Amino acid sequence: MIAADQTQSWIDGHSVLANAPAWLNKQRTDALTQFETLGLPGVRDEQWRYTNLRALKSTAYQLAERSALNTELPATNGTRLVIVDGYVDLEASSIDNIDVTLGSLSDMLGNTEVQAAFGTTLPVKQHGFMSLNTAYADDGYVLIIAPKLVLKDHIEVVFVNQASETVSHTRNLIIAGAHSQCTVVERHISAADNPTHLSNVITEIVTADNAHVDHYKIQQLGDAAFHIGGVFVNHASHAHVKSHNIALGGRIARNDVHCNLLGQGAHIEMNGLVVGSGAQHVDNHTQVNHLVPHCTSDEFYKTILDDQSRSVFRGRIVVAQDAQQTNADQQNNNLLLSPQAEADCKPQLEIYADDVKCSHGATVGQLDPKSIFYLKSRGISDEQAHTLLTFAFANEVIERVQVESIRTELTQLIAGELLSGLADLV
Amino acid sequence: MLVIKNLHVSVFDTPILKGLDLEVKAGEVHAIMGPNGSGKSTLSNVIAGRDGYEVTEGSIEYMGNDLTELEADERACEGIFLAFQYPVEIPGVSNMAMLKAAINSKRKYHGEDEISAGDFLKLIREKADLVEMKQEFLKRSVNEGFSGGEKKRNEILQMAMLEPKLALLDETDSGLDIDALKVVSQGVNALRSPDRAMVLVTHYQRLLDYIVPDFVHVLANGRIVKSGDKSLALELEEKGYGWIDGLQKAG
Ligand SMILES: Nc1ncnc2c1ncn2[C@@H]1O[C@H](COP(=O)(O)OP(=O)(O)OP(=O)(O)O)[C@@H](O)[C@H]1O
Ligand SMILES: [Mg+2]
Repeated sequence: MIAADQTQSWIDGHSVLANAPAWLNKQRTDALTQFETLGLPGVRDEQWRYTNLRALKSTAYQLAERSALNTELPATNGTRLVIVDGYVDLEASSIDNIDVTLGSLSDMLGNTEVQAAFGTTLPVKQHGFMSLNTAYADDGYVLIIAPKLVLKDHIEVVFVNQASETVSHTRNLIIAGAHSQCTVVERHISAADNPTHLSNVITEIVTADNAHVDHYKIQQLGDAAFHIGGVFVNHASHAHVKSHNIALGGRIARNDVHCNLLGQGAHIEMNGLVVGSGAQHVDNHTQVNHLVPHCTSDEFYKTILDDQSRSVFRGRIVVAQDAQQTNADQQNNNLLLSPQAEADCKPQLEIYADDVKCSHGATVGQLDPKSIFYLKSRGISDEQAHTLLTFAFANEVIERVQVESIRTELTQLIAGELLSGLADLV
Repeated sequence: MLVIKNLHVSVFDTPILKGLDLEVKAGEVHAIMGPNGSGKSTLSNVIAGRDGYEVTEGSIEYMGNDLTELEADERACEGIFLAFQYPVEIPGVSNMAMLKAAINSKRKYHGEDEISAGDFLKLIREKADLVEMKQEFLKRSVNEGFSGGEKKRNEILQMAMLEPKLALLDETDSGLDIDALKVVSQGVNALRSPDRAMVLVTHYQRLLDYIVPDFVHVLANGRIVKSGDKSLALELEEKGYGWIDGLQKAG
């Protein structure tokens, strides 16, 4: 049993992996040493100021164990990998219909590409959960896209939080070969009985020149779940990555999306959509490191908060001295539907080069009464007017979603039946 | 259809309308003219049911019922339409989506089935042609980035789609070029019918050459101070409002 608020408890709970190669066990023990100094973050840490983890820390967790899926998932004809409490469940997956390297990290530790890529995207300055992830994670998915391979259909990875009062650490790795193209949809869900589960999930994306990766993270956990996540990307020259970070659920959810633009001509698009209600707390941190010239970054996060829900957005853009001709944009718009909801946003630009174009904007607001009256004067009810305007707010981000089924799903989520049959009209 | 008696309206505790009387019957077209700030938009807004306009005295009856009891959306479903002096831009909601939602709300209110996708498209194409609006405007966000004239044309499109019983057009002619004025007037005239009434707020006699009113009223200081037929508009054009002010003082 691990008492989450005690650093020593995490250290005592750790064990090296019997069958793991030495390189991995070294990274794991190093990470644990790092954790010993870091501990778990608290409100005194600048990066966590607005996120109170008391509810997460006051729980005692067992380490999650490998178990079979006991929740029914919607049927799929596509490629789907299922991960239950941090362990790949091949029985529940359907991955044979596709000609790529896709499978369980623990099965692929001997792969030299995996060894070369593992851990290379993580920031030097980490928070305690990141170190814990490296120290503890036994499993996760690995996806290796061969050079020049272009996948038309998306690959779905479903993470199921199943056992209550457990913690799972999951580590994923996407290696995208030169000129390859793929779309990965990560979906994080809770089992039907809404377990109190802490999931700590990191996905690393390592790209070669001209690789295109569209990554979706759809976090729709139950309201008793705690989630800490990270998506970390290394961009080679002319690599294009789109990160779609869609946070719909969880009691407390924190997600970091960081990318290192390491090759000229690389492009990152970061899209975010938060829909919060009840007592939810969603904390998104993004960081774009412009390290070489001629890279572009385009960041667009939108938040919709109802009831007493809260959100944090911190967007950091660092433009190194050599990164001339950088073009970086960041927008963060927050819509508060209730007087008790609260959004904190902190854009942070650090620019050391002189020939760059950087812009950013942040807004926090409510629905415009003039627009509501305009719609009502056309016969649309107060409730529908609110729905329509809320959808309009979210739609700018939804429009950036390339996977049609996800676009429909998000439209349905926000607009309900109101816009059914209107999808092509809006 | 519309009977307004001794109407007093305050906005943020400031009295704007001060004892206004107006009766509009089915099939009639009324023009309301009057100086800036006299209360013309206030009158339109209070009939449409905008929040923040407090009726402190008097009554508004519509089709024999007390209108002030109804919410703005209920009034619209009962057949009242306001073409805004300043149409609102709504980024992210397309013209089509808004109109489909509006038509279906109205149908639901009257216990009718939703309009089919095919019927809706047919209807909107037909009405867009009526106001000579290009199809691409239908997919654009409501009024977003529309020119002043395009916004006004869009108001008439919405009116044509919703087929109101009582249409209030608040300065729909302002900002229109000569061709657009003709198009908008044609659109309005096409909707004239024995069971539909229209109230046009305008500053310009020119509009009334195209849409010939049955009555012309002058609204000043929150009241209708003079009513007449279309020749009153010509007289105003010639003499200005000073003449009316004098009239009011004398009376
Ligand atoms: N929301 C408001 N708050 C304060 N005053 C208001 C408000 N709305 C209207 N008024 C005031 O009420 C008066 C009448 O305004 P209204 O818009 O009805 O005039 P109008 O006759 O339509 O003028 P115009 O010809 O310029 O359109 C004006 O003095 C205006 O400033
Ligand atoms: Mg006005």
